Amino acid sequence: MSRLGKSMNAQHADVVAFLIRQHSEIKDLFAEVEAAEGDAREEAFRRLVHLLAVHETAEEELVHPYVRQVVDGGDGIVDDRLREENEAKQLLSDLDEMGSQHPDFLKHLEVLRKDVLTHARAEERYEFPHLTREGDPARLTKMTAAVQAAEKMAPTRPHPGVESATKNLLLGPPMAIMDRARDAIRKAMGEGR
Amino acid sequence: MTFNPLRERGIPLDEQVRTWRELAVMPIDPDEADPYTRCRIITMNGIETEAIFFSHHMARHCPSIEMKQQLARVRYIEAQQQKAVNWLLPGLASVLETTIAYEQVAVDLTAWVARMEPDPYLKQAYQFGVLEDFDHLYRYANLYEMIEHRRAEKIVDGLTEVMPGRPTYLHHRNPVDNVRQNYDKDAAAPISKLHALTIMAAEQQTMNFYMNVGPLYMEPIARQLYQEIGMIEEEHVTHYESLVDPGETWWEMLLNHEYNECYLYHSFMETESDPRIKAIWELHLNMELEHLRLAAEMFKRHDGRDPEQVVAPALPAPVTFEPNKAYLRELLATQIDYTTIGTGYVQEAHERFEAMQRAVMDDEKPASELVISENAMKSGHEYRLETEGPHPVPSLRMNRPT
Repeated sequence: MSRLGKSMNAQHADVVAFLIRQHSEIKDLFAEVEAAEGDAREEAFRRLVHLLAVHETAEEELVHPYVRQVVDGGDGIVDDRLREENEAKQLLSDLDEMGSQHPDFLKHLEVLRKDVLTHARAEERYEFPHLTREGDPARLTKMTAAVQAAEKMAPTRPHPGVESATKNLLLGPPMAIMDRARDAIRKAMGEGR
Repeated sequence: MTFNPLRERGIPLDEQVRTWRELAVMPIDPDEADPYTRCRIITMNGIETEAIFFSHHMARHCPSIEMKQQLARVRYIEAQQQKAVNWLLPGLASVLETTIAYEQVAVDLTAWVARMEPDPYLKQAYQFGVLEDFDHLYRYANLYEMIEHRRAEKIVDGLTEVMPGRPTYLHHRNPVDNVRQNYDKDAAAPISKLHALTIMAAEQQTMNFYMNVGPLYMEPIARQLYQEIGMIEEEHVTHYESLVDPGETWWEMLLNHEYNECYLYHSFMETESDPRIKAIWELHLNMELEHLRLAAEMFKRHDGRDPEQVVAPALPAPVTFEPNKAYLRELLATQIDYTTIGTGYVQEAHERFEAMQRAVMDDEKPASELVISENAMKSGHEYRLETEGPHPVPSLRMNRPT
């Protein structure tokens, strides 16, 4: 089977498909935060912070280093993505400190939404296709398991009956969630510190 | 060996409908396919797209329901052929990579046609146009390096050089000066009619492509460059379509279209390097032979002439994708400063040209200039692929004194 055929069959299991699906979840979650009010908005925003933190950490830990390693021109591609990511991370931290009840919250959320979705589209167009074209399918599948491990570290949506526990896990500033996600990913990839 | 498509039998039309499974073609590998295989796919997509739109246009002028039904039957098959051909392009390739491939088609197909064209006025039209497509390739290659951090030599594979042609900003002419004289249908060689139709269809598809994918970009420089070059593709369609004799009857135009499809599928069947794709060209040739037979019957019935009075008795030498580096360098050295005036060409900027330049530029640099300086700033150099030595025009050489 050609390289192309192989990569197509691997599509459902590999990290690219997984991350693209998360992009779509992120987009929906932004809409949910915008539409909600009061406690419901705060709860949805905590889930958004969590998902963004886990997602960006997975990209920084797994995807970007691998692209630098295997893709021709990978350094330039990753540098552009990190620039976008750092802007978004700063905005996310600011928003987190501001809190979802602040009168300017929605205005700032809109700026973050545009930045995050532009960054996501740039990854889908200029970075992920090279993983599919040049990456090792087994390695891409292993990466999915690591992202899933980070996600499980705390679910991104409340499960029935465990609301209070979930709430606790969802709490915390984005940086703390990123640290925990990083540990989970490194452990899953067998590179625990 | 001569091949007269009017004497060959193809696949009966009723047997040409394909299932969805048959249309689900496996795309070529974006990194490992022969670049000229990709060029042939892009060319045939342009030819099939023209076939479909020509047939729709003809049907809109057709008073008889039976004729419209006949056109619809063939057009359905052509629409399937277009899908089977264009879906060979891989989704893994970026839009900009496909764009660079479109410009490689424009360069090497137009250069080949210019080399083979017997009529000097028509030859000049292709020579004039190719230096502009050549420059578009260079501009898009710089955009590609700037936003995707990749080098266009991976796409063109060293077969086509990437360096400045006639600078893109000088392509914005007064629309009046884009209209050429047409050939005389009764005097022109059959090959000249096929050349005009082929290049017109290819440029038209390029125009369609840019006008639709340009706004899908997020980066302002990309959006603007597609707009600017998209406007020039419209000028090119005007330029090439005006070469065709408007005195041809609808039936004659249909016959020429079907004959040209046979010519190109036959050409590509003869020159294709990928056996899987070659089989598609062969299948489509066998379908087109039947479309040609049906068009020839309609021509005999409604136009009253014998098709052999209009088209060539045998297919000309196959249209071949091959490097045209020396030919292009010669044209760069001699015709880079040409522009058009009326239906002819001059070497200096005239009043109407300059008025148009002022009207669209308003003293600002267009995207085609900015993309080079912005890429030089970002990547540390402008992108070129000069495989045969320094640029033939001294003022366009790298590191020229400013």
